[in-house]
Amino acid sequence: MDLVQLQRQLVDYRTSLYHEGFLDEQFTQLKELQDENNPDFVVEVVSLFFEDSERLLNELSKALEQQVIDFKRIDAHVHQFKGSSSSIGAQRVQKLCIVFRNFCEAQNVEGCLKCLQQVKHEYSIVKTKLESMFQLERQILNAGGSVPV
Amino acid sequence: MAEKSFETTSQVCCSTGSESLPILASPMESPLRKVLSRISGFVPSWGKKTAPPGRRIFHRDVEQDEFQNGTAHCLSSYYSVFVARLAIMVMLAILIGLLTVLTWHFTRVYTTKSLNTLAYGLRYELLQRPILRMWNILNSTSEITTAQVKLSEYVIRRYSKPTNQAEQIEQLYQMMKDITWALFASRKALNAITINYRNGFVQAFHRDHRSNNTFYIYSDLANYSISDTGSYDNKSQSSRQGWNDQFIHGNVSAIWYRQPLDPLTGEKIGKSSQIPPEDLINIAGPSQVPDGVASWHVAVSKYTDSPLLSAALPVWDASNKSIVAVVGVTTALYSVGQLMKELVEVHSGYIYLTSQEGYLLATSTNTPLLNNTAKGPKLMMAANSEDRVIRMGAQWLQKTYGNKFPPGHVVHVEKANLGGQHYYIDSFFLNLKRLPIVGVIIIPRKYIMGKVEERALKTLVILISASVCILAIGCVCILILTNGVSKEMKLRAELISHLDARRRAEASSNYKSQFLANMSHELRTPMAAVIGLLDILICDDCLTNEQYAMVTQIRKCSTALLRLLNNILDLSKVESGKLVLEEAEFDLGRELEGLVDMFSVQCINHNVETVLDLSDDIPKVVRGDSARVVQVFANLISNSIKFTTSGHIILRGWCENPNVSSDSGKFSPDQKKPMSALKTKLKHGNHMKKVSKKDNKMILWFEVDDTGCGIDPSKWESVFESFEQADPSTTRTHGGTGLGLCIVRTLVNKMGGEIKVVKKNGQGTLMRLFLLLSTPADGLEQQRQIDFAKHSVAVILALHGSMGRLIMSKWLSKNGVPTLEASEWNELTQILRELFHARTTNSGFDTHYSLAKPLRSKVQTLQDMKKLVYIIVVDLGLLDLSTEIWKEQLNFLDKFSGQVKFAWMLNHDTSNAIKMELRKKGHILMVNKPLYKAKMLHILEAVIKESYVEPQNRSPNGTKGTSKQGDSHECLEIDSTQFETCSSDDSDISEMTGANSVSSVGIREQLKEGTILKSGPPTLRNCLVEFTRLGLEVNNLRTEEDQCNGRPKFHDTKDVKCENPNSSEQPLVRSNVKDRDNSYTTNKAASEQKSLEGLRLLLAEDTPVLQRVATIMLEKMGAVVVAVGDGAQAVEALNCELDGDENRTNRLQTEICDSPPYDLILMDCQMPMMDGYEATKAIRKSEERTGWHVPIVALTAHAMSSDKEKCLKVGMDAYLTKPIDYKLMVSTILSLTKRSTKG
Repeated sequence: MDLVQLQRQLVDYRTSLYHEGFLDEQFTQLKELQDENNPDFVVEVVSLFFEDSERLLNELSKALEQQVIDFKRIDAHVHQFKGSSSSIGAQRVQKLCIVFRNFCEAQNVEGCLKCLQQVKHEYSIVKTKLESMFQLERQILNAGGSVPV
Repeated sequence: MAEKSFETTSQVCCSTGSESLPILASPMESPLRKVLSRISGFVPSWGKKTAPPGRRIFHRDVEQDEFQNGTAHCLSSYYSVFVARLAIMVMLAILIGLLTVLTWHFTRVYTTKSLNTLAYGLRYELLQRPILRMWNILNSTSEITTAQVKLSEYVIRRYSKPTNQAEQIEQLYQMMKDITWALFASRKALNAITINYRNGFVQAFHRDHRSNNTFYIYSDLANYSISDTGSYDNKSQSSRQGWNDQFIHGNVSAIWYRQPLDPLTGEKIGKSSQIPPEDLINIAGPSQVPDGVASWHVAVSKYTDSPLLSAALPVWDASNKSIVAVVGVTTALYSVGQLMKELVEVHSGYIYLTSQEGYLLATSTNTPLLNNTAKGPKLMMAANSEDRVIRMGAQWLQKTYGNKFPPGHVVHVEKANLGGQHYYIDSFFLNLKRLPIVGVIIIPRKYIMGKVEERALKTLVILISASVCILAIGCVCILILTNGVSKEMKLRAELISHLDARRRAEASSNYKSQFLANMSHELRTPMAAVIGLLDILICDDCLTNEQYAMVTQIRKCSTALLRLLNNILDLSKVESGKLVLEEAEFDLGRELEGLVDMFSVQCINHNVETVLDLSDDIPKVVRGDSARVVQVFANLISNSIKFTTSGHIILRGWCENPNVSSDSGKFSPDQKKPMSALKTKLKHGNHMKKVSKKDNKMILWFEVDDTGCGIDPSKWESVFESFEQADPSTTRTHGGTGLGLCIVRTLVNKMGGEIKVVKKNGQGTLMRLFLLLSTPADGLEQQRQIDFAKHSVAVILALHGSMGRLIMSKWLSKNGVPTLEASEWNELTQILRELFHARTTNSGFDTHYSLAKPLRSKVQTLQDMKKLVYIIVVDLGLLDLSTEIWKEQLNFLDKFSGQVKFAWMLNHDTSNAIKMELRKKGHILMVNKPLYKAKMLHILEAVIKESYVEPQNRSPNGTKGTSKQGDSHECLEIDSTQFETCSSDDSDISEMTGANSVSSVGIREQLKEGTILKSGPPTLRNCLVEFTRLGLEVNNLRTEEDQCNGRPKFHDTKDVKCENPNSSEQPLVRSNVKDRDNSYTTNKAASEQKSLEGLRLLLAEDTPVLQRVATIMLEKMGAVVVAVGDGAQAVEALNCELDGDENRTNRLQTEICDSPPYDLILMDCQMPMMDGYEATKAIRKSEERTGWHVPIVALTAHAMSSDKEKCLKVGMDAYLTKPIDYKLMVSTILSLTKRSTKG
């Protein structure tokens, strides 16, 4: 009973994530790629994403604090961030990255800073959401059930 | 914001203006100031305009700003014109004024100067002459005086002997009188000669000029004692003192007598009368010669009204010690006045002579010179002269100079104002001893300069008026001229603003294109995802029929949407100049066939026949952008279909070789006959020409001919504009965006061709276009036509569509295949009966049937030809499918199955039941509509083959044949279903063509397999096995045809083997085919796993997430993936492997070295350290020494074709966009690895 409830919760949670636009079909694809050969593929990739993102966000904040701002570098970072977020399907982050890049192109420091804050915010949301989802999955697995697709 | 900035600019301008021109600016009127400020504002405003373009300004602001700028610009140009005009006018005015002044000045000054010189000379001359006369007079007077003195001396000396004193004195006086008279008479000008003797006796002759009388005046002799003479000597000194006027005048004791004389002879004519002393004339006395030298003085006399000049000279005695007498000569100055009058009269001037003291001596006027006072006449001062001018002149001189005359009394005054008139005043000084004379001449200035001044004035007036006129005219001219200029300026300003506007519009359109191009990625990705997911869904088995239908519908809609997107993108790409045409070889015929296949499905619903009519001379393989060419025709045909409700659509194509371009004149609107003529003509020399011309550009003509509603001739041009439809109302009925034809035209133009609507006989539209495509350099144009005539086949075309049938039969008969045509069931049966019943029974059945005359004759000729293989191409539509009659009909046809071969034309929606039935009956040849050359060829080939094979493998024919038939049927069916899904869903064009070509390939594959199974000798089969092992899963048409062609010939020989591998295939074409095939298969079977089994891939990707995802993706499909973080690592990895290989080569066999370490590299474009482009370049460079070519696929987040260009330029082979599309990636990888393994 407990397990079933957990499973249902997971499914609902996941649907809500898709629904609210945190994730998109790219994440689905990611899930599809996970099989018995790499059972923790999604978690692995997502944690990669977390690492990468934190590094990038740090770099970005550092770069934006500089006296002379190297927009080219920032652009490259954001581009990378956009790529990684799009490949895990973190849609909202990706969209923000696009906005960010536009500001970057316009060399708008204010906008960049604002965007950085937003990106950070979105990123932390996605991170918590994903982590809680994985938490749920782990609970289910621990309970001996299987993660519903 | 903009306004503010503008204001500040103008302020700045104002300030700069006032700074730079402080003097001008302050008193200037406001408009002029504005002008200046505008002009000076011109430069900063321009500078502002050319601000760095990289700066991003919000559009509205920009527009406003530019608008403001524009108006400012206009105003400033207007003002500048105004100022320029003003400046030119002022300059002209100054010029003309200067010219006038100068002209006037020079004419006047020089004239005046020369005239002044002349006048001076004249005045001098005028003055000289009276003075000369004066001098003369003086001279003569002095001469006479001297003469008189000399004579007197002589006479007195003679009679000085005091012998007979009284008598002697009497004689002396008489003698003296005579002598004096002689002298006096000789000189008429003399007024008087007086001799005053020492003793007081006076003898004088006097001439009164007024009364013209001459008198002899003498004193009474009685009063003088002769003795007195004695005391003369003694008293000389004292008496000399006493000699004065007093003495003479006061000599009261003396009595004076006057005796008139005859002026000519000197005879006494009257009695001498005593006269009172006051009537006496001036008699010079010794007082006048005090020192014994001659003396002069001016005297006046009662008898003349002019001053007299009198000279006195003493007469010395013989011893020269004492004065004996004094001689006085008086001359009137009257003649001088006369002369002066004469001289000056002409010049209306005045001359007067004065003594140094200022007493008038002579004037040129008649005014009296003497004052009549009570004491007698007295000399008059010039300043008191009665003549006004002289008086004023003298007064002026006195006033000006006073007594301080310049040295020599010489005065030249050119402009003396005397009583309101200007005069020249000149004075000369004649320094005579004892009688200095001043001469003054006054000439009115008017006389000399009057004309000149008048002229000068006139000239001035004329000049001024002329210059004013010229100025006015000049101003008008300038106005007119600059008016034009200002108009031009205005126009230019307008033009500039228009250009500006255009530039802005272009920029915004560029923005649009850029935006669209950038959007392409964003838009297409979800669409592709949608379609892909739908594909997956369609493949799912657990869908109900309704769901399936719905999903199909969704897919249709999605593809339609995608197509629309692509259209818009294409257009924007073309507009922004980013469309780059590929240059690859492709099979034009097959592309078009696929297209027609596709559209025929649509047409059948519309009851419209689609016909493909390509002439045989069209090169099979051409170079160009196949997708774009197909797009052109797809757009044209779909456009035609849209407007054609019944009839036919023909896609004609023929070739105009530049060699025979002279024949192009033959391409009249009625193209049919010349075209076929040309075709046959070309066919003969076809082979030679094609071979001789390497990579020649060919003009390929195409026509899309429909029987639709047609286009109004006035719209023939405009239909090619974007969003343009011939009839706006059609949008409602036919739909469409109006972009299709626009894209077509731009594409055609881009391919070096032209498209236009051509006048057509009859209903419908005829679009004609030509494309300039090059045939490949190694264009081995092989005559693929089989000589059908040799095989003695005959074809009966039982088809519905009249146009297609007509064209097909023409083509067949041209190729030596006799044809019969039937358009309906009854006709077919008649022909069949005619042909076979007549042959089999040889009876007079024919009376029963009434065939048309020509047809019958044809049938007759066919009957005459023995051993013909008949092929009946039957349209399934000929059968009555609505009822069960079709089975009967089939049975009927079955009767002939022994003698004829049936080829069935199926509709795309032919039900399986019918197919099954047909198959059961043994009708294996089934093709889908429409019928075109390639299909006909296949039918013919299949039949011919069969007819060859049959006699050979007669025994296993039954069983094997059926199995084979089933096989092929299956193929056919798959083919047709594929065909259906692909074409009916109207999908993306490139996709479609891919699918279509696959479908046609499918047919061929089936045919191939069929033939192999049926007839392939073991050798041949081996050969094919080899082929497949080499990875040539799908052969292109050429090889098959080679097989087909070759087989009959080399049937018994073993050499067939070498023919296939060596047969000249175009690898590119084949790989194209393969690409499509692969993409298709992957599309079709998405679930297919491990498709990349055994491939070793190198993945260069910096983003760890992406790297991981891609790795897993690829690994899941069985590939071995090595992932690296950047381009440098990728290069390194490759090189390392290469080196390793080399090492291994040394150690091991050479085989390993045959292939590069990786089958393929996936390369992200944007990476740190070394980006994808650089890495690719490096890899390609290092490859040079090995000779390998590792395929490199770019991964990029940009979906622009320029990026693609860039990728391909650095040496990449393909191009994938992120996020990675799974299927596309697989297909790309497969196509590339296949190619390379082969290579």
